Amino acid sequence: MALARRGGIGRYYNVNGWLFVAPALGLIALFMIYPIVWSLWMSFQSGRGMMLKFAGFANIVRLWNDPVFIKALTNTLTYFVVQVPIMILLALILASLLNNPKLVGRGFFRTAIFLPCVTSLVAYSVLFKGMFALDGIVNSTLEAIGLIASPIPWLTHPFWAKTLVIIAITWRWTGYNMIFYLAAMQNIDKSIYEVARIDGVPAWARFTHITIPLLKPVILFTTIISTIGTIQLFDEVYNLTEGKGGPSNATLTLSLYIYNLTFRFMPNFGYAATVSYVIVVLVALLACLQFFAARERDR
Amino acid sequence: MDMRTYLPRFAAIALAGASLLAVTAAEAKEITIWCWDPNFNVAIMKEAGARYTKTHPDVTFNIVDFAKADVEQKLQTGLSSGTADALPDIVLIEDYGAQKYLQSFPGAFAPLSGTVDYSGFAPYKVELMTLDGQVYGMPFDSGVTGLYYRKDYLEQAGFKPEDMQGITWDRFIEIGKQVEAKTGKKMMGLDPTDAGLVRIIMQSAGQWYFDKEGKANITGNAALKASLETINKIMAANIYKPAAGWSDWVGTFTSGDVATVITGVWITGTVKAQPDQSGKWGVAPIPALSIDGATHASNLGGSSWYVLEGSAEKAEAIDFLNEVYAKDVDFYQTILTDRGAVGSLLAARGGAAYGEADAFFGGEKVWQNFSDWLAKVPSVNYGVFTNEADTAVTAQLPALQQGTPVDDILKAIDAEVSAQVQ
Repeated sequence: MALARRGGIGRYYNVNGWLFVAPALGLIALFMIYPIVWSLWMSFQSGRGMMLKFAGFANIVRLWNDPVFIKALTNTLTYFVVQVPIMILLALILASLLNNPKLVGRGFFRTAIFLPCVTSLVAYSVLFKGMFALDGIVNSTLEAIGLIASPIPWLTHPFWAKTLVIIAITWRWTGYNMIFYLAAMQNIDKSIYEVARIDGVPAWARFTHITIPLLKPVILFTTIISTIGTIQLFDEVYNLTEGKGGPSNATLTLSLYIYNLTFRFMPNFGYAATVSYVIVVLVALLACLQFFAARERDR
Repeated sequence: MDMRTYLPRFAAIALAGASLLAVTAAEAKEITIWCWDPNFNVAIMKEAGARYTKTHPDVTFNIVDFAKADVEQKLQTGLSSGTADALPDIVLIEDYGAQKYLQSFPGAFAPLSGTVDYSGFAPYKVELMTLDGQVYGMPFDSGVTGLYYRKDYLEQAGFKPEDMQGITWDRFIEIGKQVEAKTGKKMMGLDPTDAGLVRIIMQSAGQWYFDKEGKANITGNAALKASLETINKIMAANIYKPAAGWSDWVGTFTSGDVATVITGVWITGTVKAQPDQSGKWGVAPIPALSIDGATHASNLGGSSWYVLEGSAEKAEAIDFLNEVYAKDVDFYQTILTDRGAVGSLLAARGGAAYGEADAFFGGEKVWQNFSDWLAKVPSVNYGVFTNEADTAVTAQLPALQQGTPVDDILKAIDAEVSAQVQ
């Protein structure tokens, strides 16, 4: 009885417990719950700067008639659809290669591939901007080895600018995902592979039929993290395009559009809040979808 | 529930909170100023500060140099958050954005109507900073435009300075083709993410993105259409060096890669920052369109100083601006000669420097010219949505380059502007 009391309802009356969590709860309420509720309220208001007034669903209606919002949404989804699968696959392959105990210098390779995600966002964007300039090192290298005849306008052509953003985020985040896979792979019992090898299962089949299914929870985790990261993409685009999402809005993301609505254009906090709720809904939907796709079927 | 058991815990928490809240007192009499462009605004503010400190030794200046976009965005963030601590005492605001800040952040800026004698300034400049009968800010420089050209390159291509005077855009492109054929240099740098050139050409024919009432004026705007057609011709003739962003664009002429620069007079300081190019530059009026109302004069940018209402050094800041920018005619001569700043204080025009020849420009009396052109700039209403319209225009420039008809481009710009302007 005494144990049950302590573990059950009695916990709620324990002042010490509440005191311990009170600072954290206070901070969460102040810096998370209050802004969330307030921004939801703000998304129903409209106006210039501090002159907000209640506007009902006007902001949601405005979304449908706003070509820039549609463009930002399509761009964001394009990044997501193209970049996330490339990155996840690349990270899986790299992890599997670097998991090979016979590989010489794997410590070095692991570090080298992981390093990009600890570099400063601004520094690497600026570096990329220099490298991919019209007369930058990338174009001159490609020209020198005869892959291209004239320099690629990485930063001034809509298609190439989008490609550059995808290259940049792939470079930065692949190693991050790889580390998760490496850690998970080292937890797979080696005897499973031994059995498969004795049974004559080829390497590729071992990868697709043993490694990937066993990594499923980790793959789900990294996919959701990457989805959230990509849908919220801001820094790379901001720094590569001087905050404009150009050329031709081709690299504009939802987050950058929110930023522009708040800090660059006539400030409209209400509409910006509405756009930010689009991200919330989008992330929630995609995460649900991914959980659904990865659910356990073999019950 | 013995209160004594809990008392030490509350005390510990309170102590921790108090130490977090400890604040440092602000330094007295230091005026913090935010502005951009080290060769221009920053240098000019340093000169102004030095003059004021001579008579007021107790006042010091902290001039912070940001990129223009950063100043604007930091200001907007600070104003939105409502904390005066995050803001400077004086901030530079480009004229296009003045009304936006005044209208959307009422009470954020100090009205200077009672203190400053605005009758001494160019009226268009004062109008820009007036809201509900109150005048905010200290009018500063004009963005009167000019065509800066490399005499040496044009000479190699067979052109004399006279050939650059009073030309049309078609002639400009013609000259550009010959310059490239003879010297291998491009005629100009062009940043497709910046609509500055579109604005220059449009205003030179007396139009803007918005009409006098502030309504969007896009599809029926002959000057905007002609402006986009001109850009299209420049791109088709391939007489430009593409630039990605502002610093890249500045690099096109400081490195000597292009033969001309068409922009506001405030670029003079940057052009002159290359002493090895001294004597090689000349200045002519900008080319004109071949439509009704076309002139050779236009404006790009231009900005003014604003004092924050919540500033702790508000009185000193206002007095400083008033003493130097509204009264010191000699100051304007110095910044004109050193930095190419054409101020909007009318009395300054009578000063000696405006009649002087400039050795960097081969002894031409360029300031007299800029001053004459300034009087001819067609006046337009910038409204409060120039940033939005500008973004809509730059969004369409690549499509323009790929051959989309100009009328379709105008429709797309109009759609974007209409959606943004509310």
